[in-house]
Amino acid sequence: MEVCGSSNVSLREFGCEQSLLSRPDGSASFIQGDTSVLAGVYGPAEVKVSKEIYDRATLEVLIQPKVGLPSVRERSQEQCVRETCEASLLLSLHPRSSLTLILQVLHDDGSLLSCALNAACMALMDAGLPMSCLFCGVTCAIDTDGQIITDPTAAQEKESRALMTFAIDSTERRVLMSSTKGSFTVHELQQCIAVSQKASEKIFQFYRDSVRRRYSKTLE
Amino acid sequence: MKDTPLANCERDFLLKAIEEKKRLDGRQTYDYRKIKITFGTDYGCCFVDLGRTRVMAQVSCELVAPKENRPNEGIMFFNIELSPMASPAFEQGRQSELSVKLNRQLERCLRNSKCIDTESLCVVSGEKVWQIRVDVHMLNHDGNLMDAASIAAITALCHFRRPDVAIQGDEVTVFSPEERDPIPLSIYHMPISVSFSFFQQGTYLLVDPCEREERVMDGLLMIAMNKHREICSIQSSGGIMLLKDQVMRCSKIASVKVSEITELIGKALENDKKARKAGGRCGFAESIPQERITALKMEESPVEMMDVTERANDIVQKAEAPPQTVPSPVVPVPGVGQVGQGLQNTWGLEDDDEEEEEEEENGNRGEEQEGKASKMEKYEKEESRGGDVVEISDSEEEEVVILHPETSDKAPVNTGSRSSSHQKGAAKSKKK
Amino acid sequence: MVTESCFFRTAETHGSVSCVSPLFQSVKCQQQHVSGSPAVPMFSTLKDRVGEVLLPGDEFTCDTDDTISLTEHVKPEKVVCGPGLRRSGDRLVVCKSGVLRHKQPNVFWIDSQQRRYVPAKGETVIGIVTTKSGDVFKVDFGGSEQASLSYLAFEGATKRNRPNVQVGDLVFAQFSIANKDMEPELVCIDSSGRANGLGVFGGGGLLFRVSLGLVRRLLAPHSEVRSDLEQLFPCELVVGMNGRLWVRSSSVQQTLIIANLLQSCDTMTAPQRRELFRRVKQGVL
Repeated sequence: MEVCGSSNVSLREFGCEQSLLSRPDGSASFIQGDTSVLAGVYGPAEVKVSKEIYDRATLEVLIQPKVGLPSVRERSQEQCVRETCEASLLLSLHPRSSLTLILQVLHDDGSLLSCALNAACMALMDAGLPMSCLFCGVTCAIDTDGQIITDPTAAQEKESRALMTFAIDSTERRVLMSSTKGSFTVHELQQCIAVSQKASEKIFQFYRDSVRRRYSKTLE
Repeated sequence: MKDTPLANCERDFLLKAIEEKKRLDGRQTYDYRKIKITFGTDYGCCFVDLGRTRVMAQVSCELVAPKENRPNEGIMFFNIELSPMASPAFEQGRQSELSVKLNRQLERCLRNSKCIDTESLCVVSGEKVWQIRVDVHMLNHDGNLMDAASIAAITALCHFRRPDVAIQGDEVTVFSPEERDPIPLSIYHMPISVSFSFFQQGTYLLVDPCEREERVMDGLLMIAMNKHREICSIQSSGGIMLLKDQVMRCSKIASVKVSEITELIGKALENDKKARKAGGRCGFAESIPQERITALKMEESPVEMMDVTERANDIVQKAEAPPQTVPSPVVPVPGVGQVGQGLQNTWGLEDDDEEEEEEEENGNRGEEQEGKASKMEKYEKEESRGGDVVEISDSEEEEVVILHPETSDKAPVNTGSRSSSHQKGAAKSKKK
Repeated sequence: MVTESCFFRTAETHGSVSCVSPLFQSVKCQQQHVSGSPAVPMFSTLKDRVGEVLLPGDEFTCDTDDTISLTEHVKPEKVVCGPGLRRSGDRLVVCKSGVLRHKQPNVFWIDSQQRRYVPAKGETVIGIVTTKSGDVFKVDFGGSEQASLSYLAFEGATKRNRPNVQVGDLVFAQFSIANKDMEPELVCIDSSGRANGLGVFGGGGLLFRVSLGLVRRLLAPHSEVRSDLEQLFPCELVVGMNGRLWVRSSSVQQTLIIANLLQSCDTMTAPQRRELFRRVKQGVL
């Protein structure tokens, strides 16, 4: 398998805004190219008795599609996001409470899951919930020629042979979650992970820059 | 989750302030909060910020069979989603009183006012019509959701373009936007809802109440009107008795507000049209306010690819090579197949409660129970042979493949461990 | 107009940093701290980054020397870490995003702009009484569960002489029990049984919410926001550590102005704030 051409390996323009909603305890919108997700977090708040866990917080993730009601696709994405968040949040610090993370899809132009993960991380950070590390999502597509495309658009996703989304942690760049579609070789998988780890550095630097910018006025 | 309770002193202060014609955010009695209308990347997507209240509307369409009693009219469908993002008091997937009220009001405002030409949505009479679906998502609740929703919905409808269709005989072809320019809906007029809240049994009146004002109000009057001063719907709730004069006064205020808002919508649509024509980027990426310190944007950036391949190669090479020989399946007894012989399978040796669980599961299915009984028997038999590690395929398996018996003692270790770990994983997920 | 200074009901000792607060845990580094030692002590690495913006996952390590000299005196180094910093093995891990702050001699914490309050013992909050059940009141303070407030925990309260507290009243109370595994408990008396500013209050004032970071800035000794505010109007201000502020001034108009000013303080630099306050003063007077 040949090395992918570096021309395709780039991240689209991305942006983020934190604390943009007044009601939630933490909120963020994340934009990757045209794909955009809005996230809101409530918690640690009162928990329903039926969902109470005695030694840690109950995390609930809801993904709201743009049109219609949540379906199986949203449910599976919710699970991916929830497991990633559970891995990075220190839930045992807030036992018997609830954390609710709501993700509203604003526009889907490919790499939706990774955008949702990034929005979730920024919103959790904005809410000031204790986390052991940050995480980010990177989507890689392998097209029919075996080229790797990072952060693909919807059109590129459609033409791709395989699609993989990884959640990567900020401390050791480990893979927290992976969700794949299509067929690929072990070599391609490893290559995609390596590419995602590289790309994650860019995103983590962006996280740092945006938080730094945000606190720029309180650095008296 | 519950909402924060309202303290007595807040209520008293608000009422006192209203008596003095003061509002929390410094507005006058008849002032609206700042309205901001932005559009999404695709057609029919609109955001409305009304102060800190924020809603999103998305219009979509679909070809469906028409209703029997109206064979040549398109169908309008409205759905207001009270997303838990907007307020902790909203719950996912539950029809609350508020959501029913808002949905009904929006339907009366936009469907029953016949502001959209539904006959033009007919493709083949009695067979195929367009169903226009409007989804309104509440993103942040700071009062007056209805007005924000009605502005967002009508603006999104005006912005929406449906695909063009052609009919040849019985065949309906739907053209993609690249093939033929999509067509806007034909809208006769734009009804906009204006809310009035009443305090002290109707003595005081405020336009566009914010969330805290809504919590202390006695009654609410919603008037939907278009710019031709035609009232499209009127609804009073809260059980206050209004005088004729009050309603007349409200409708006069509404007519002023509606013409202002209609103008604003017109401008917003015009701007968006220009931006799209100019080919510039439009949508969310452009709507991020750059001047805020909470926002940051980064240009498209390539990912450093220096040693990615080497690293990947390295990992692949270092990884243990998968076994070249596929382990032959073992069939200890007819009806049970097994591949690989690795770690001792814990099936059947597990603690009692686990087994009970399985038993319960199996109890539901009579057939499987039989199979299990026989397996248990076999298990004992195998045990008596002594020493041999025995694995029995997962009892959950619906299909049991019968394989020819064959002995394979050289089955590699790692595959076995992998399969058993897989089984463990499966068991875990079942427990969930 | 006479500008009198604001009246604060909050005890200043419950300001941003108090070493008695259980939020602060101490970390001992058993390491050599002798001048000329090659090991970098955690204390100085921490101190180097004071004022920097840190993100969850950032770490500080004690690069302890493997060889501990037996002849030289080994001085254990102690670092007290507050909210946002956690000890994990021999490392110190940041778990909240924000600015690293330091207080002499060895206290470090992360200053963040959170909105949801997590109770801590000894902190004073503004609560809303939601129910009266038996001999306790349930109080909403914006946390993950309601706190209980005994009717005996008021100044001069006895079994016969119950305090006059109604559902919906505001109380300014202090946490006597606050930990993650127990129901939080509030009291409206200090250790000597005096009210000392705590108790039911709220007539004629406005309650509003700001970020927890702003509350801490208001309560910090020699707070700039506070001194700026003092020059504006005479007002009565109650600051709850849970992000709730209550303000009362001579008129509704002034009360609203102060509330709106404080709510906008979060995203302003000091010069911007002073400029705004100056303009308001000119505009109103």
